[in-house]
Amino acid sequence: MGYLSVDHPSPALKQLPTAVAFAIGIVLILTVPGIEVTNEGLAASGIALMVIATMLAAVFTRIPHFEQWAIVIPLIDFLAIGAFRAGTGGATSLFSSLLVLPVVWIAAERGRRHIVIAGLATSVALFMPFFLGQTPSRDISEAFRGIYSPFIFAIAAAIINELSRQSRAQLESIRRLADDKEIILQRTVEFANQLQESEAQIRAGDRLFRNVWAAVTEQSVIGTDVTGLVDAWNPGAVKLFGLEGDQAEGVRYVFEFHVAEELNELSRELNYPPGETVLNPGFSALVESARLGRAESREWTYVRDDGTQVPVLLSVTKRVNDAGETSGYLFVATDVTQSREVARLKDEFVGLISHELRTPLSSILGYLELLRDDEDNPLSEEQTRYLGVAERNAHRLLRLVGDLLFTAQVESGKFPLDSHDVELDRIVRGAVESARPIADAAGITLVEEVPDVPPIVHGDAIRLGQACDNLISNAIKFTPRGGTVTVSLRVDGAYAQIEVRDTGMGIAESELDKLYSRFFRASTATRNAVPGVGLGLTITKAIVTAHRGELDVESEEGVGTCFSVKLALTPASVGR
Amino acid sequence: MNSAPRRVVVADDDPDIRALVAISARKAGLDVVASVEDGEKAWAAIQEFTPDLAILDVAMPGMTGLEVCRLVRADPALTDLPVLLLSAAVDEASREAGDEAGARDYLAKPFSPRALVAWLTTEWARGE
Repeated sequence: MGYLSVDHPSPALKQLPTAVAFAIGIVLILTVPGIEVTNEGLAASGIALMVIATMLAAVFTRIPHFEQWAIVIPLIDFLAIGAFRAGTGGATSLFSSLLVLPVVWIAAERGRRHIVIAGLATSVALFMPFFLGQTPSRDISEAFRGIYSPFIFAIAAAIINELSRQSRAQLESIRRLADDKEIILQRTVEFANQLQESEAQIRAGDRLFRNVWAAVTEQSVIGTDVTGLVDAWNPGAVKLFGLEGDQAEGVRYVFEFHVAEELNELSRELNYPPGETVLNPGFSALVESARLGRAESREWTYVRDDGTQVPVLLSVTKRVNDAGETSGYLFVATDVTQSREVARLKDEFVGLISHELRTPLSSILGYLELLRDDEDNPLSEEQTRYLGVAERNAHRLLRLVGDLLFTAQVESGKFPLDSHDVELDRIVRGAVESARPIADAAGITLVEEVPDVPPIVHGDAIRLGQACDNLISNAIKFTPRGGTVTVSLRVDGAYAQIEVRDTGMGIAESELDKLYSRFFRASTATRNAVPGVGLGLTITKAIVTAHRGELDVESEEGVGTCFSVKLALTPASVGR
Repeated sequence: MNSAPRRVVVADDDPDIRALVAISARKAGLDVVASVEDGEKAWAAIQEFTPDLAILDVAMPGMTGLEVCRLVRADPALTDLPVLLLSAAVDEASREAGDEAGARDYLAKPFSPRALVAWLTTEWARGE
């Protein structure tokens, strides 16, 4: 920041009083009779010196670089005044008092040495008439004037020096304070800006939160403190329970909206130690997972105040304060009445369809068999062949119905496995053998690679056989005449691996992840008119997954595909 | 000792299946004394004829085959009557439900008449 010129006066400003007083002296000499010039030469040189000093002051003011030499100016002033005084009467000169002005200048400079400089300079100025022979008689009083007056001037200079030192110190501390104030002000402004910014952010965040909060009308969101007292109640909760926020917040506990038996049942499951450690076992059970920091969704039943019940899928999470302590819980619930109903209807529908389709198929297959077995009216060879076609297609339809029912069971989580220790090589051999006639008919070489030691896994032999059948029949379907399908069984550490490799048309890489979705058909399948509905791999995947196994696929379009099933061996059969 | 053919009651809501079962039973040399379309009629026929065998469809309108089977087991006069259940449901749970109701055996639809004849012949032999 800039300083006013009075803080730090320029040489010109400092010189101004001396020059003005000097000029007034000249005017007095010219106008007032009785004030005489005793030696014109000395008076003139005094004036000349004063002019030089003043010009130097002007120059130094313009060129700040020379300011350190500004002390020269008052020294020239001394010489000018000394000469002028000597030329206007010496000791009796009216202008001795002019010396005060450069003394003030020098004394006001920083440092004690300026007191000495001021004293010496005064002394020189006062002794000038003496040196220049302007004192007629060797007056002892003149000599004392040259010592005593400078002494007084030096004292005055000391006082001025001290005062100016103090005032400088004060000024400096004021400046420092002003600087500090400036910095603080700047910081305040910065803080204010930051505050404004974060306030805007908070307001935006708050607005977003409010909008989201208000938008969630299909999920009930309830916030509580650690005791379960409700402190937040969203529009979804209003809709589900028919209670406004002020009817719940601060007055109701979340467990009041639960079926007490369900809570008690879970708390029994969690096996809380009986007694005082758990004040509210039901609520503790409800938030148990959330308290441990786990995210858990499970089905609960909410109860409205009128006693009606709503099945919900509820996620409980904990709320944490700044100190990292649990400050409460959040209960986010979705009404599953409808989705349960849909699932029930779907199960019912699938059951009905499969029953309704099976019954006519039973008749068709049964009567076809009667026809074939009728000994009284034996069929011609041609009729027998036609009958075979009808039977084959009826069986195909039956399989399809079975597959549909099975995928529906898998989807609804009802997947019955009849598990025993199973020799996997038997299953693989069986699947290969039953596929051989189809492979032969399709002109495909079916290769079987099975180890001597049978790998044993724990599983459902029929389902595992179905999985192998699916993979092998797929491989045959997707391999052109003359190709090879290799079925191999290997033991790899603690796992058995079944591999079905073909030299078929392959599957596009982009379609590999969709293979297991229901009714998905690869573009190579549709393009080459390979029959199928897209259930086989869905079922195979479900079977392998239900056995905690892995189903992997590698494929290259036009080269072939390899499906592999990895199943864990029973501990007893590992390393045999 | 008893040279008269064994008597059987058949019940299924589908007339074609009912006929198929009856044909198979006759092939096995049984006398089909009643062929009915629901559980109530089946129970009435069983009480009326006290047959040597009952072949019942599980899913029938009104009383199901399982319910009729339970009634049969609950009746001291019918302790020895074997019941063969027919069902389109093939899962393990349905089979277990049949066992629990006290059925002699459980035949999944679609069934092969040949297999049914074989079963009936075995049952016949067992009854001898």
